Amino acid sequence: MATTQDLLPRESLLWIFAAQFVALLPQFTQLPLWVPFAWAFAVYWRLEVFRGRRDLPGRTLKLLVIFLIIAGLAMSYRRWFALEPMVALLTVSFTLKNLELVSRRDAFVSLLLAYFVAATLFVREQTIPYALYGLLSVVVITAALAAQMGSFSARPRRALGLSLRLLAQATPLMLLLFVVMPRLGPLWSVPQDTSAGRTGVSDSMAPGDFTRLSKSDKPALRISFDGPIPPPEQRYWRGLVYSEFDGRTWRQGFGVDPRNGGRVYWRSGERPLPQVGPRYRYQVIQEASRTPWLFALARPVSDSTEVGETEDDRLVKRTPVYSRFAYEVRSWPRDTDSVQAPLSTAERRRNLQLPVEGNERTRKWVENLRRRGLGAEEISTQLLARYNREFTYTLRPPALGVDSVDEFLFGSKQGFCEHFAGSYVFAMRAAGVPARVVAGYQGGEWVRGEQYLLVREYDAHAWAEIWLDGRGWQRVDPTAAVAPERVRDGLESAAGEEFMQDSLLPLHRIDVLVKLRLQWDMINYRWYQTVVSFDSERQRDTLQRLLGDVSPLRMALLFALPTVLALLGVLAWIWYSGRRRKLPPAERLYRKFCRRMARAGVKRDAGETPQDYAERIAAQKPRLATLAQRVTDAFERAAYAGESAALSELRQLLRWRLASAVSPAHKRELVGS
Amino acid sequence: MSVLRNPARFLTDPLRGAMQRWLSRRAPRSRSITLNHSRLFILPTRAGLGFLLVIMLLWLLGTNYENNLVFALTFLLVSVFVVLPVHTFANLTGLRLQLLGTSPAFAGDFAEAQINISREDKREREWIRLCWPPEEGAYLDLCAQASEDIRISMPVVERGRVQAPRLRIESRFPLGLFRCWSRIDLDVEFLVYPRPISAGPLPFGGVQTEGDFGEVRHGGDDFSALKAYQPGDSLRHVAWKQYAAGRDLYSKDYECRTDVRLWLDWALLDGRDVETRLSNLCYWCLQAEKQGIAYGLRLPSVAIEPSLGPSHQREVLQALALFPKWGS
Repeated sequence: MATTQDLLPRESLLWIFAAQFVALLPQFTQLPLWVPFAWAFAVYWRLEVFRGRRDLPGRTLKLLVIFLIIAGLAMSYRRWFALEPMVALLTVSFTLKNLELVSRRDAFVSLLLAYFVAATLFVREQTIPYALYGLLSVVVITAALAAQMGSFSARPRRALGLSLRLLAQATPLMLLLFVVMPRLGPLWSVPQDTSAGRTGVSDSMAPGDFTRLSKSDKPALRISFDGPIPPPEQRYWRGLVYSEFDGRTWRQGFGVDPRNGGRVYWRSGERPLPQVGPRYRYQVIQEASRTPWLFALARPVSDSTEVGETEDDRLVKRTPVYSRFAYEVRSWPRDTDSVQAPLSTAERRRNLQLPVEGNERTRKWVENLRRRGLGAEEISTQLLARYNREFTYTLRPPALGVDSVDEFLFGSKQGFCEHFAGSYVFAMRAAGVPARVVAGYQGGEWVRGEQYLLVREYDAHAWAEIWLDGRGWQRVDPTAAVAPERVRDGLESAAGEEFMQDSLLPLHRIDVLVKLRLQWDMINYRWYQTVVSFDSERQRDTLQRLLGDVSPLRMALLFALPTVLALLGVLAWIWYSGRRRKLPPAERLYRKFCRRMARAGVKRDAGETPQDYAERIAAQKPRLATLAQRVTDAFERAAYAGESAALSELRQLLRWRLASAVSPAHKRELVGS
Repeated sequence: MSVLRNPARFLTDPLRGAMQRWLSRRAPRSRSITLNHSRLFILPTRAGLGFLLVIMLLWLLGTNYENNLVFALTFLLVSVFVVLPVHTFANLTGLRLQLLGTSPAFAGDFAEAQINISREDKREREWIRLCWPPEEGAYLDLCAQASEDIRISMPVVERGRVQAPRLRIESRFPLGLFRCWSRIDLDVEFLVYPRPISAGPLPFGGVQTEGDFGEVRHGGDDFSALKAYQPGDSLRHVAWKQYAAGRDLYSKDYECRTDVRLWLDWALLDGRDVETRLSNLCYWCLQAEKQGIAYGLRLPSVAIEPSLGPSHQREVLQALALFPKWGS
């Protein structure tokens, strides 16, 4: 039963609502529109109840509301076992709890729930702004908890101050725990956020797809090298291979897509490595893409967990990349591997596949070249020369009809990388040369003195690979034939005026802003390196750096030393805090008097008032009566009325009269006074 | 009986007794107590356990999503949980409690103790609760002021001098996740008067006295003199004989040597048990005081001369309260 003390006062309610609001605000954009409204309505109702204009809802109404909300959730989310419905369910529990927010216990439940909701924010995003916002939520929720402790604590400055102080004091231990607490892997597979749109290179390539990416300057990859760095024209980060063409769209197709028959080597060493050592060693930090595709230079091998290598020299992750993901890669460029296995029949057939009909003009053109007896390389050269002579590279290619390759090659002659790559592979396949489209990123931008390479979404690129007997798969970038600066200097210089034209503000033109943005990205990179991607491996490294050698003894020292120091501090303080303070002078003098009286034979009882004591002294030792009375009077005036004259009188009385009072030699003199 | 009704007490009673003995050794009785580490205890509250549960859930969330920010938040909350008891403890330690006095009460009512709480340092203290356990007690803050007097009450059932149980002082500051408390014995003793129970109207003139201690009262049994009839005199007292003899109308004046003062006498209530008698006397005492009639008290052991006024009433009630208990 809630007693009067347990009922929530106004400040408590307002603080709870504030904490809920702060925790929910970033979730509101993700939730169905009716959820925030339901929350606001519940808050309004509860405040009306507080004002006495309404009653708390009855049982029937509550059941109805619960039913409505569950139904609403069921309609909004088809799937239950996913992150968004879970967050929605939490929000909704908040909402419902508001309708029966009566006692302190309810307040605690609501605020503890708020901590959890605030944490779900991090599952979505781990960037610095989100981290700062999460911190703000925690400060407010903690302040709301503090505000439950009475009206003095509920004043905003006091509550927030308390909360900040507590959190500040907690920070050192938090950092220690963050560094040393072991990270276990996931205990069970968890639902992931799937609603948010996929970004980056997608599973398929139709004309226009890459144009979309060229409009985004979001970071996609951050790559730091350990050792040699590939020259700009070699920086092709392969992510996907499209081998199936339906006349309009390129897809990975059966046998290539790891979800559709494509072979993936999950264990290192499963696929034989070249005889020589790798040329490049680097770490890639990939932004959340919600796809399993990873990006690396050709013939990559990675020992990172969850990462596998496909037959066609790509890396894939076992589960989609839902949050930033870091992986270590070693790469052997194709020219380092002299031994090439011949192309299998199935593979050859797959990489020669074309639709039965369509794009007849291209087929005929290629047929002519073949009839002239040209080999694979010569046909390729012819085609690239043609691109170079007659074609323009543009971010705004005209729309293409049904025979998209024909229209591009013989009509518009304007296109973006996907047009060039798509038409090139089509032509090569028509000429009987196994070919495939490769998609990924190309290039990147150095940040802060070549510390790492920043690859943005607009660096997304598509190129081609053709199979040359005896030499294996060779990369051909048709775009380079038209706009070599695209490959050398990046999209910005290749597209010139068109680059980022659609963006609201042409910020990329302002030099200072570009620098600032790079600075910001640097900070982000550091944040990600040190905090977000801090896993068991990095933990071991850090501990090794701190301790030199991770032995149990040193670990114990790392833990025990700060703990013991902190405990000693707390113990010292506890001892000090319980000690008696220095007494006021009057009290001190009076105690002196009591001690002397005790020596004279009259001990003051615990809790005896000075007057009672004086009377008792008078009764037991009549010769001390006057003295005791005078001391007591002076003490009372000095201690309670604060008279300084009385204090000096008391001092004087004790200095000589008392000193002589108890020494037997002066008894007579004393009695006389 | 009690054991039958509540078998658990069979086990808890000895424990409780041991606890009390331990407490009385550790925190002895005194009218003035400074709280320190040897007296204060601290444990998480239910909300604190809930907080731990949230930490567990967050840790699972962080582990399963391999999310370092969730971990950071988890560890932050763990650290807060570690820091908190120090604050809660600091809110109580160094506080000085002093019993200022107690006010007497009637059995079945609430007795009240006045206690002064003061701090000697600068730290602000908040949300301190003082109570005798099942009671709600009183809350106080020591923020601007360094010392405060509060009144705490507890129900009293039996008359006499009642030793209050250990007073509980507790605080859940700052987040309510920890509770720091102490059971202190401030040597609180209440004087509890008997519960007033109605015994009818005040017992006027019920006491015969020997000798001339009482005062002369008109209207008794003994004839004393004739006086001139005045309108309003009872016709029964008219001296008809003398009137018939042709004299004036006289009325007979009677008088008795009874004590006419109001005596609340133990003996008047013969036949009732001790406690009821005391309760009845208590009731009469209150009635007489209310009506402004001087009254005295006669108990087998004590007699208090009739008088009126608060100090007299206190004396009378105290005598009633301290009347030896049955069997003791």
